[in-house]
Amino acid sequence: MVSLDLLKKIQFLRDLPDDILEKISPLARLETFDPDTILVRQNQEQHLVYMLTAGRICLNTRSDAGTILTLDEITPGRSFGVSALLGNASATFTAVCTEPCEAITLYGEQMQQLFASDYTAGYAVMGRVAQLFKDRMNKHTRQFLHSLSIHPAINPV
Amino acid sequence: MVKIQDLKQIFILESMPDHLLALIGQEAQLSIFSSNTCLFKAGEAVDTFYMLIMGQVALTVALNPDVDVILENIQSGRTFGSSALISGGPAAYSAICQEPCETITLSGARMQKIFETNPELGFYMMAGVARQYKKTMDIRAKMIMKTLEQHPEMKVSIHDIEKLTPAY
Repeated sequence: MVSLDLLKKIQFLRDLPDDILEKISPLARLETFDPDTILVRQNQEQHLVYMLTAGRICLNTRSDAGTILTLDEITPGRSFGVSALLGNASATFTAVCTEPCEAITLYGEQMQQLFASDYTAGYAVMGRVAQLFKDRMNKHTRQFLHSLSIHPAINPV
Repeated sequence: MVKIQDLKQIFILESMPDHLLALIGQEAQLSIFSSNTCLFKAGEAVDTFYMLIMGQVALTVALNPDVDVILENIQSGRTFGSSALISGGPAAYSAICQEPCETITLSGARMQKIFETNPELGFYMMAGVARQYKKTMDIRAKMIMKTLEQHPEMKVSIHDIEKLTPAY
């Protein structure tokens, strides 16, 4: 169980009404992790949503040819592994703690059971999942387009 | 009004119960657009959600006045304009019909009102939209990785944060 005050420190949950947070609270756990702990592995099914309250986590992705890039760096208040809420979703990245971390975790399966019994909660949370994915996708696309736009082949001079 | 059978051709509606499809059907409209029709432009507010029955729609972004990048070609069964169903906000891309297209459309504002009174429908739609975003996000991440491998010099220009910086 995690207090509402702590849940409200997470951007993903911050704007949810208290009555929905009260339903999420008993499903949430507060956990600590050592540096270098791998929380999620790329291409493996995701079971947990992680919401960071302290520390720093890198989300790395590996291409088919083996190149590794850091997609994102998660700081306190931010979340990852949200695909676990969708069921049968594999991770796009590997998540590694780069320092001692504390995170709120939620089991995707338990959350899906909550959504099935309470569509108001399901709609509110799933709307945020969609928004989160949209923002993340647009951020990565914008950055990639920026690098394209200043590439000499596109923009000589 | 659109028939349930037509709605079932749309991937994000595949797992939606029939009673909810019937509600969507009442709100949906079938529209036909000719080739080269611009359905919305990057930067404009998106007020309509599109579900493609037939044809192909290119999602494009202008890099500069001379170069457009096609982010994705949407084909039958896929959707776009999801922003209309969530917070709105400006479109991140332009949507242009590459050939004559048949689409099912929903008014974003109208659907958001219905979601408030029928959260079951809202939940199923949002779950579908989230899965679609996840799929697109995965495809786009692979596209970016592939391009960066072919043009490693581009990594140098990707520097404005934590996003896509070389790890090692």
